[in-house]
Amino acid sequence: MKVLLVEDNERVARFITKGLQESGHTTDHAGNGRDGLFLAASERYDAIIMDRMLPGNIDGLAIIEALRKSGNHTPILILSALGDVDERINGLRAGGDDYLTKPFAFGELLARLDALTRRGRQDVTQTTLEVGDLKMDLLSRKVTRGGRAVQLQPREFKLLEYLMRHAGQVVTRTMLLENVWDYHFDPQTNVVDVHISKLRQKIDAESEHSLLKTVRNAGYMISAEAALEPSD
Amino acid sequence: MARVIRSSAVTLAIGYVLFGFAALVLFAAPLRYAWQATVEDFRVELLQEDSQRFAEVFRLRGPAGLSDFIHERVSMQIAGERILLLTDSALHPLAGNLPAWPSGVPDKPGSYTVPLDLGGQRTMVSVVRTVLPGGYNLLVGRDVERFAPLERRFWSGLAAAVAVLSVAGLLGGILIRRALLARIHSIQQTVAAIMRGDLSHRLPVRSSHDELETLSQTINRMLEQIEQLVHGVANVSNAIAHDLRTPLAELRSRLEELSLTRPPTAETFAEIDAAVADVDNVIRIFNALLRLAEIDAGMRRSGFVDVDMADLAAKAVDFYLPAAELRNVSVSFRDPGSVLVRGDRVLLAQAVNNLLDNALKYVSEGGRIAVEVLRGQDDTIGIVVADDGPGIPDAEKPKAAQRFYRGDASRGTPGVGLGLSLVEAVAKLHGGTLELADNHPGLRVQMTVQRGAQPVPAEKPRIEAAYPSIISSSARTSTASS
Repeated sequence: MKVLLVEDNERVARFITKGLQESGHTTDHAGNGRDGLFLAASERYDAIIMDRMLPGNIDGLAIIEALRKSGNHTPILILSALGDVDERINGLRAGGDDYLTKPFAFGELLARLDALTRRGRQDVTQTTLEVGDLKMDLLSRKVTRGGRAVQLQPREFKLLEYLMRHAGQVVTRTMLLENVWDYHFDPQTNVVDVHISKLRQKIDAESEHSLLKTVRNAGYMISAEAALEPSD
Repeated sequence: MARVIRSSAVTLAIGYVLFGFAALVLFAAPLRYAWQATVEDFRVELLQEDSQRFAEVFRLRGPAGLSDFIHERVSMQIAGERILLLTDSALHPLAGNLPAWPSGVPDKPGSYTVPLDLGGQRTMVSVVRTVLPGGYNLLVGRDVERFAPLERRFWSGLAAAVAVLSVAGLLGGILIRRALLARIHSIQQTVAAIMRGDLSHRLPVRSSHDELETLSQTINRMLEQIEQLVHGVANVSNAIAHDLRTPLAELRSRLEELSLTRPPTAETFAEIDAAVADVDNVIRIFNALLRLAEIDAGMRRSGFVDVDMADLAAKAVDFYLPAAELRNVSVSFRDPGSVLVRGDRVLLAQAVNNLLDNALKYVSEGGRIAVEVLRGQDDTIGIVVADDGPGIPDAEKPKAAQRFYRGDASRGTPGVGLGLSLVEAVAKLHGGTLELADNHPGLRVQMTVQRGAQPVPAEKPRIEAAYPSIISSSARTSTASS
């Protein structure tokens, strides 16, 4: 996919550009708000990564607001050192789709970017989710693996649903915390890992190949493919 | 001199003296008026009575008779009638003790106060002019000066009062100023010492309960708080320096070793991953500190919403249950039905999670954790998390919520020593407290929060929702993965 990166810090920009390139994405980089706004308005991008504090005292949020007012609905991931909950809310209110605080892990950035760009393609009306031989019926709230019923508690169901909606994508612990538990803080210990291993026990226990994979230094992914690395 | 004038005490004294003057004038003026009016009226009345008596003599004995009568009176020097004069219609004196008709008397009968030459002195005299039949004029008068000593005494008395008032006022002003300056000076000295950096100084407080003492006491209380805050900040700064130095030292040595030994690629990558984990740990400490600073500043109160504490606690229990299960730790939960609190959802959730995280960290394999939501008195809600772990010795309990405190029991466990600090800060933000007690054995931590202004929710029946105790022997015996 084609990504616009608006970031004034050269080092951070190089880090992101290189990382995205290795994952098979092309990146345009704008070092200031004016170029950023110009590129965003004139080119077509799959996603925009927007820094907040830009040269000349420009807040990235102002650019986002301008873009949204002109009818541009490209998914935007806000990247900022301003990490307060209130700042987050400001960012999302201005029209950003997700908010990532600096410093960040590249895996987190990539996973969130993936989630943003695929969100548009998702069919909200679908009533069943399928990954390989794992099936989830969203109406009757039943899950089967290879035809065999899997008993899940409500929270496990929600966790699996989120993973399956993002099948083939890396989902980070933070994303799970935010979307499954609605926790916008770091609970210090890796309780999420325990939830995942419990879920994995239930869905993968009696099958020869595992669907729920751990992606090193990033998070988790559910996919029918045997490859451990994200295919994107 | 300018300094004396500017002194508030002197200004005050001068003000009071002027006020005293005004009071004196207000007191003396009506008095003098009343006195004058009364005396004057009395005098005129006497003169008129005299005039009538003379007129009676005139009626009985004619002008010659009255002349003789007047001569007689004048020669006998009868007291009180200092001035007597009878003239014909052309104002030629016929009898009396005035050589000529005084010029200042108006041409009509009546009573007047006119200047007259008496024994070479010009004095004010009250006179009554009567016109008798045949055009004869009779002037009867009395010397006003007779009352002059009394009037003089009145005025000198007034002057003396003014003088005493001025002297006393100025003296008082100077004394007050001196006393005030002495006290202000001592306050200044204390403040100067504090400004030099010694926060332990306090303003001198005497037993008198005057305004300055009240002010001093208030300032002392303020200093107390400032000292606590400054010490708190200093402690936190020291603790931060110490606690960040450890992971940073680790990180540094790891990278340096890598640079020196240049191990094979696979090993290098493993070391780099470990270094990133070190950095993540530092970032985590920073985030926790930033969050604490945010709470301490009280900025978040604006975003308060209604939060169901029972629901929040239930979710937290649900979140930690698998991790507890893994270590055969049973978690019980009780709540009194939904309890709404006006507060910050994110912070309250984080605080409750921290309590559970803490309990789970210290409880031993197969232990028990009890979580309870309590409806307290005074419109408070309590969240109790009790465990049967090693607990905290009584002596250590007050320190447990201090930033970066890590008890002996916590050695070797993950964490940065900010968990309970955050819980306490969140409780304070919601007008509440954090209390640590013994659970015999173990620790019983209670976070209390004020429910705050909110519509009273419909009372739900008391439900005891007990989560099934999880003591599953079939659970894996491995310890919680981290």
